[in-house]
Amino acid sequence: MTSARILVVDDEPQIRRVMRATLVARGYMVGTARNGEEALDKVREERFDLILLDINMPGMGGMEACRIIRSQSDIPIVILSIRNAEKEKVEALDAGADDYVTKPFSMPELLARIRAALRRAPLMSSGTPDVLNLGATEINFASRRVTVDGEEVRLTPKEFDLLRYFASNPDVAIPHTKLLQAVWGPDYGEEVEYLRVFINQLRKKIEPDPSHPAYLLTEPWVGYRLNLPKT
Amino acid sequence: MAGTLRSSLEMSLFSQPVKVVRILGALGITGGITLFYYRIFAVNNVTVALSFLLAVLAIATRWGLVEALVASVAGMLCFNFFFIPPIGTFTIADPQNWVALFAFVVTAVIASHLSASAKRQALESTHRQHEMEQLYTLSRNLLLLEVHGHLAQETTNLIARVFELAGAAFYDRSSDRIHRAGPQDIPVDDSKLRDSALQGTVFHDATTKTTVIPISLGGQPIGSLGIQGSHVSETALHAIGNLTAITLERAHAQDAATRAEAARQSEELKSTMLDALAHEFKTPLTPIKAAVTSMLSDSDMSPAHQELLRIVDEETDRLNSMLTEAIQMSRIEAGQLQLHRSPQSVRKIVQSQLEKLGEGLEGRKVTVEVPEDLPRVSVDPEFTGIVVWQLLSNALRYTPPGSPLTVRASAGETEVIISVEDCGPGVSEREQEKVFEKFFRGKDQRERIPGTGMGLTIAREIVRAHHGRIWVESEPGKGARFSFSVPRAPREFLL
Repeated sequence: MTSARILVVDDEPQIRRVMRATLVARGYMVGTARNGEEALDKVREERFDLILLDINMPGMGGMEACRIIRSQSDIPIVILSIRNAEKEKVEALDAGADDYVTKPFSMPELLARIRAALRRAPLMSSGTPDVLNLGATEINFASRRVTVDGEEVRLTPKEFDLLRYFASNPDVAIPHTKLLQAVWGPDYGEEVEYLRVFINQLRKKIEPDPSHPAYLLTEPWVGYRLNLPKT
Repeated sequence: MAGTLRSSLEMSLFSQPVKVVRILGALGITGGITLFYYRIFAVNNVTVALSFLLAVLAIATRWGLVEALVASVAGMLCFNFFFIPPIGTFTIADPQNWVALFAFVVTAVIASHLSASAKRQALESTHRQHEMEQLYTLSRNLLLLEVHGHLAQETTNLIARVFELAGAAFYDRSSDRIHRAGPQDIPVDDSKLRDSALQGTVFHDATTKTTVIPISLGGQPIGSLGIQGSHVSETALHAIGNLTAITLERAHAQDAATRAEAARQSEELKSTMLDALAHEFKTPLTPIKAAVTSMLSDSDMSPAHQELLRIVDEETDRLNSMLTEAIQMSRIEAGQLQLHRSPQSVRKIVQSQLEKLGEGLEGRKVTVEVPEDLPRVSVDPEFTGIVVWQLLSNALRYTPPGSPLTVRASAGETEVIISVEDCGPGVSEREQEKVFEKFFRGKDQRERIPGTGMGLTIAREIVRAHHGRIWVESEPGKGARFSFSVPRAPREFLL
């Protein structure tokens, strides 16, 4: 796990330096890029396991880069930004980011977030069915494939993990905190906006009518519930 | 005043010598007709009378009423003397001839009146039309005037030029200045212009042909206008006054709007600058924080080095929170405070802020008295957290180390009150009103205790945005209690 390759994208050389020093000392392999365009080139040339992406950069910014990378790859993206308004967090998650860390951050916290983002839930966990059918949507947990009306739909790893957690706990309301801790990691729990964004994206991908969901239901002030179709 | 203007108008159009010549002409025509019928071509009396009448009508149409009346009287006398028997005397024997003479006189007078007034009306309407054109030119030019400091003077110049006045003067009450224009200096003194504006009276001087009228807009006197020259009608003069009033008022309104806009822009610029600056400062803080926390997480370091690094770390945090405050303040001032309200647990908000303060509490005893069954509040959790954080860190800063704090919450009918109590020196009554003002720092603490003076202002603005209240109660020497209220969540959401 610690041999994972991390791409640090930031226009500030000092931040790239400190990240490289720290991450290399922790056993990660580190690549760097100064802006969105460079990041896209690097991602094309090399394989990375995680991207740490700054938002505000000259040239192509992080938001745009995130969108482009996400349209081509499932690689986990952690946004590092000075802005901490909820609006910006939601925008970044909507653009496909997995996590959002506000600058300045403490290194142990960032390392925990990196570990959480890199962690793939084991392919099979007890209680999860191999295949789940939700109307026209078929989810194959063994092969990590989702099809709607026979057409394949791409889910990001976090979206997939979220869906799998629902599938192993169907028809019960799952509180926000529990969902966050199960899918993102034990350090999470307050980031309700993450769930809002990811559930919305999942609904767009698997619900026949995303504005009137039939499967991924909101339980007001509690959390969310997977509603299995009655057969 | 209309009559005065009109007669002076006629005087100016037909000067005296011309008039005398015309009257003599009228007499000559009457004499000619008499001579012709008396000596050369004898006809009956009706033909003679009709000829006189024709002459009177022609004179009235061509020259005017006075000439026509002279011709009528002369015609009547000649008709009587030369044609009505007994001829050669002014006596009339036959009563029938009295009727004829009377008919002639009445017809002549009425006809000359009618034709003269038709002529005068035609003249007047030409004059009015000309005035309308001038007023139109003036209003168009006034609209095109650029609004700046010389507007009143330029308006006066325009009035003098467009109406071809000998002189014009405008008294602007708002600046208490008098602007004069035109080829001649108008013989009206400043005091007269001021009096006219203040008392709303009209002055007219026939000898110098000057008129001064007050100008008001919406019942408010805004100045007075004096003109020299006799050809401007009263209606036109008032129209000029109104146009001037509107022009100046437009300028004032535009001026006020520009000033308000400038103030708003400067406030916005200040906020944007503060925001940008704070972000610029956060950029170098990021590698410092990352580096120092990275080193701190290494366990093989001497306790002394660890302590030094902890100091760097804590000071980095302090700098960061000051910058965060500056950013929050600039957002609030730029009106960007957007709340996302939902039912929230007060206990949770307080708890998470206490956790955030962590080491900052320095081992103080913090008692949280929030009842288990306290109703939820309808707030933005992020911003309400900032209020609690500000009150807590304020209490920590201004009270002696180790002194205890209490966080309390209680529910009312429609709101929940959250308070932070300390056992510090308290806030004097005079300062209680001011602690929420921006950049206010307590008199005794200004130099001893670091702070930006923005924290409580930020708290107040957030509470206000929630339609709540924030206040402080204190007995100097016995501590202070800062409280704020936020609305309770609607009942259906209580779980």
